[in-house]
Amino acid sequence: MSVVSGEVRAVASASGPSGETLHKLSALLTLALLIAIFAFGNAAFLSVNNGLTVLLQTSVIGVLGIGMTMVIITGGIDLSVGSVLALSGTVTGMLVKAGMPVPAGMAAGVAVGALCGLANGLVITKMRITPFVATLGMMLIARGTALQLTGAAPISQLGEAFGRLGNGALFRLVEKQPNGLSKVIFPGIPYPAIVLLIVAVAAAFMLRRRALGRHLYATGSNEEASRLSGVNVDRTKIAAYVLSGALAGLAGNILMSRLVTAQPNEGVMYELDAIASAVIGGASLMGGVGTISGTMIGAFIIGVLRNGLNMAGVSAFIQQIIIGFVVILAVFVDQLRSRR
Amino acid sequence: MTPLVEMIAIEKHFGGIHAVNGVSLDLHPGEVVGVLGHNGAGKSCLMRILSGAMRPSAGEIRVGGKTVEINSPHDARDFGIETIYQTLALADHLDAPANLFLGRELRTRWGNLDDKRMMEETRKVLARLNPNFRNLSDAVSRLSGGQRQVIAIARAIYFDAKVLIMDEPTAALGPAETAMVGKLIKQLRQEGVGIFLISHDMHDVFDLCDRVVVMNRGHSVGSYRIDDVSKDDVLSLIIKGALPEDWALRNRERLQ
Repeated sequence: MSVVSGEVRAVASASGPSGETLHKLSALLTLALLIAIFAFGNAAFLSVNNGLTVLLQTSVIGVLGIGMTMVIITGGIDLSVGSVLALSGTVTGMLVKAGMPVPAGMAAGVAVGALCGLANGLVITKMRITPFVATLGMMLIARGTALQLTGAAPISQLGEAFGRLGNGALFRLVEKQPNGLSKVIFPGIPYPAIVLLIVAVAAAFMLRRRALGRHLYATGSNEEASRLSGVNVDRTKIAAYVLSGALAGLAGNILMSRLVTAQPNEGVMYELDAIASAVIGGASLMGGVGTISGTMIGAFIIGVLRNGLNMAGVSAFIQQIIIGFVVILAVFVDQLRSRR
Repeated sequence: MTPLVEMIAIEKHFGGIHAVNGVSLDLHPGEVVGVLGHNGAGKSCLMRILSGAMRPSAGEIRVGGKTVEINSPHDARDFGIETIYQTLALADHLDAPANLFLGRELRTRWGNLDDKRMMEETRKVLARLNPNFRNLSDAVSRLSGGQRQVIAIARAIYFDAKVLIMDEPTAALGPAETAMVGKLIKQLRQEGVGIFLISHDMHDVFDLCDRVVVMNRGHSVGSYRIDDVSKDDVLSLIIKGALPEDWALRNRERLQ
């Protein structure tokens, strides 16, 4: 945790460390408020099982959001993550279906994601195409490839091992009862949540303590200055897109594993949730600003909002409208803060 | 004495436009050379070539008498050539130590950033320039123009520059800060650093420079010891590209 909160001090936002902390505090407060409201409305909201559900649902968006944060810090954007998620998961599914061991298949899926990210990075830095357009192209290319490879049909019956990452849990306690049924004493910590935690801590460490992290902030803050200071700006940007792509691949594997089915249609519009997480968490689309802890709070705000509204029986359409307002509000509050 | 840097017959073309046209100049240890000229005369272009931000179309650069190729800002720094850009080239969201060491971060044994040591070193070098500098962990966007300039200068001198290129170092500064930069330039000169000073401020030029090189439409129109010319002479060089007609007459005695 100290690593995550350490970012705040070291890499101050445009309005300084106090402003950065303030934003994170207000986001955290919003999250607490949401939880309080939903808990008040429905006692089941605070149950362990529902908590785990939120954790599971948020882990995919959280992993995507972490990659997105790195890209946004450089002043870029990655619209392709939803499609890359689908392509990676699909490739993993096909390889596993063809007989490849699950870990190798998943590694290959993540590698496909990283390759898509590499392509994004090269198009942006070498062909000098803006990130918006380059990743919009990749969004179509990756989605089209996933659909073409599978004929748009889901790949099912992938076996128990394929489903373990998405459905398994650490420290799960199950007791055999005399009647032969098993009773879950403790549902355990879902693997996706553990993956999210590991990725978040690693990413926060990288941003805070490694030269690459420093260069990501510098590039987003002032690209020309970074170049003149001897920072390899192109390589820094490419690294951000490769990481974003690889994390999209990882998120794809978590999601498909949870469904125990490789779905080429999954992940549509996930990039927008990932961007929203980062922005609610205080990342600036102008570059130079953003933290992993902030993005995590943003991802959980979206996750809790979705889950709570679902439990309250609010339609998916209304949910979209509400999340739309939240994003605009979050950015507005952020601008008020930096304008003063 | 071997010059620190020699630029010989440098050319830079952009399509049909000759931004720099066969310019040669040199710089000796402990010498401050003013590089003057109108906007677009080619002086910034020439300096960008030396700092590695731009490659010459033709010509030769020697550092310490040896012919070298400068292909990037990184190369220039390896030869001890540091540049303070007019735009200050700072990453606004980062603090002073992060900016000072940008691209050359100090690392721990494990390859992690050594923020503690970078902070200490920054404190040391800034104390030398401006003892009142305290906001070390603030984002530099929150600092005043003078404080930002101090960081930019600190970045150049921390790494023991032999040659310093200063592009309008006082343009954004108030009087007190300008005086501070002036004092610093004199101090660096004493230490044997060679400085190219790009400036429009005649007062600064005559106060600080040992020699002026004037550029006009991509050509060098002359290199003069500062004692041999008056402000009017320099202005004439800048505007007309030539000394006033009576210059030789006025300086006849001294020239003999």
